[in-house]
Amino acid sequence: MALPLVSKMTGNANDAVVEYYHDDVVRFLVMCSLVWAVLAMTAGVYVAAELIWPGLGFDHPWLSFGRLRALHTNGIIFGFGVSALMATAFYSVQRTCHVPLALPKLAWFTGVAWQFGVLAGGLSLLAGMNGGKEYAELEWPFDIVIALLWVYFGLVFFTTIARRKIKPIYVSNWFYGGLIIVIAMLHIVNSLAMPATWFKSYSAFPGAQDAIVQWWYGHNAVGFLLTGGFLGMMYYFLPKHADRPIWSYRLSIVAFWAFTYSYIWAGPHHLHYNSIPDWVQNLGMGMSLILLAPSWATMVNGIMTVSSAWEKLRTDPALKFIVLSLAFYGLATFEGPMMAIKSVNVVSHFTDWTIGHVHSGALGWNAMITFGTFYFLVPRLVGGKLYSVRMANAHFWMALAGTMLYVLAMWGAGVSQGLLWLSLDQIGELSFSFKDIMASMVPYYLLRLVAGLIFLAGAVMMTYNLAMTIKGRPTVKVRPPEVTAYRVDS
Amino acid sequence: MRTTIQSWLFFRLLTKPSVVFVELSETRPSPYSVFFRFIFWLALIPPVFAYIGAANFGWHLGAAEPLFMSNEELIAISIAYFIALLFGFISTAMIAQWMAATYGARHSLGIHFAVVTIVAAPLAVGSIVHLYPHVFVNVLVLIPTLIWSMYLLYRGLPIVLKIGPERGMLMASSLIGWLLVAAVSLLGLSVGLWGSGIGPSIGV
Repeated sequence: MALPLVSKMTGNANDAVVEYYHDDVVRFLVMCSLVWAVLAMTAGVYVAAELIWPGLGFDHPWLSFGRLRALHTNGIIFGFGVSALMATAFYSVQRTCHVPLALPKLAWFTGVAWQFGVLAGGLSLLAGMNGGKEYAELEWPFDIVIALLWVYFGLVFFTTIARRKIKPIYVSNWFYGGLIIVIAMLHIVNSLAMPATWFKSYSAFPGAQDAIVQWWYGHNAVGFLLTGGFLGMMYYFLPKHADRPIWSYRLSIVAFWAFTYSYIWAGPHHLHYNSIPDWVQNLGMGMSLILLAPSWATMVNGIMTVSSAWEKLRTDPALKFIVLSLAFYGLATFEGPMMAIKSVNVVSHFTDWTIGHVHSGALGWNAMITFGTFYFLVPRLVGGKLYSVRMANAHFWMALAGTMLYVLAMWGAGVSQGLLWLSLDQIGELSFSFKDIMASMVPYYLLRLVAGLIFLAGAVMMTYNLAMTIKGRPTVKVRPPEVTAYRVDS
Repeated sequence: MRTTIQSWLFFRLLTKPSVVFVELSETRPSPYSVFFRFIFWLALIPPVFAYIGAANFGWHLGAAEPLFMSNEELIAISIAYFIALLFGFISTAMIAQWMAATYGARHSLGIHFAVVTIVAAPLAVGSIVHLYPHVFVNVLVLIPTLIWSMYLLYRGLPIVLKIGPERGMLMASSLIGWLLVAAVSLLGLSVGLWGSGIGPSIGV
């Protein structure tokens, strides 16, 4: 095959002028993502144990539930999730644009600085510096660093797209682009604050408005990072994996815009029966219900894409993860709108049902699609075979068992909690105290701990498997292929 | 190819499931016979046990004293439970039949009824635990039963429907997706009705 840059090489043996895809940074980010996954999941298992045995805090503030819980969520979202998204965005944008990554040094800087940011941010949370907004706990100096690095991420990504050799912008790039733009907007607006000291600030928004802005951020972080970003991953890696085109490209684009339009309104469902206007709550509920349509359109598109590629499942444990992740994606995106209905929310709100819902998404969808992608990506990055397919298959069953057990335990706990909290005695007083109800949750929390341990053990196994796959192998150098159709200059 | 399923077959699910799968793959049962000989009775087990348990011991939601309901309420709930189970059985079988076209599996409704019966049988039998209506005890017994059911689904579906293991894996996962959605819908529906004051009065 003729290569676009071969002409430059003519008469020049110097390999340096040949442009290759920049995959070293992808490899680095994948490994960082794996390390954060193990660390942050361990923190999650530890806080799960603390809910059963509160003494595990040992009266040390760094081991207290309040600090470790924030470390768990931030470590998963910003460490594991964002590193995986950056890695896969950098990998796929090069291949869908047929050019090497633009600004590779900036890409490296962003990737490395992000890891230091997550590390320092995590330590600051352990030290008790906490802005008090869920999933936006980090204090203002970190907010500025995140905003800057996010803009750099966008610069690398969009400059690569601007330099593309192929005219259409593939749908995965729409989702990654949506992730970059919307998260920048949400993060900057929600983090607006007046610093009081180096590690203490006060939000720019008063009272109920602050709550609305926070959940506009919080829900859309779920929407555009944990859903949209990972859909970008799905849209590139699933067809690659299955060796089939997307079942309906048109549906993917329609679903993208429907998703982008409706998600942004859904945040107020986190504030049902709170001191925000009733119509805002109803609007949030209505838009949450509408959201089901684009979410399921995407699921159908994914499942139909893989439906004709079954012969691949025999040899490819990675595809199993992706298929199952779509099933859990279907569950989570159905459960979410349902829980946004006010008459369901009156029972489910503030209970462990919410935690179960989040984890059906986080374990079943985000983690599984990432695992599937990494099992596919890592051997290709180093041009070798997966160290152990058996281990990967075992990991699949552990991930499935862990997720199912987690979700079922939290459904049981959540519904019991909701009903007990709402129970009134004959004279109209609460039948049960908060403490009694918490004490009765211990058996469910034990089940959840077991589920978490199984899931964590699977993740550790994967990290070992992928580290052994990569060990001693350099990253394969790949040149962009020649663009034969849909050239930018055609 | 035989058209009836012998009753003993389902008892061997616990000891030799693979024999049952192979046997079923050679059978072409009618949906009516599977429904009236197996599904109807299996679906009756959980509500009957639940009724007996709740009437005698009351529901333990986890905290403080058990919750007793009036006889009329218990009967209404048990009937609703029975109808929900029947709906679950039939809708799952019909969805499986609909999926069969995509996965190139056997198409007769009767065989899909049989597949769902295999998967549901351990859960129906496990529902004996409803006799002691303590939520956690029920969860503790039904989770291993559920794992057994899922194992039967992944293992048995490709054999009974005569498709490759890869397609079976995809189809079983798709069915799991549907079942999860159905389960959470049921949860949401009950909770939503309770929240709106419809259903048993438990002080909510």
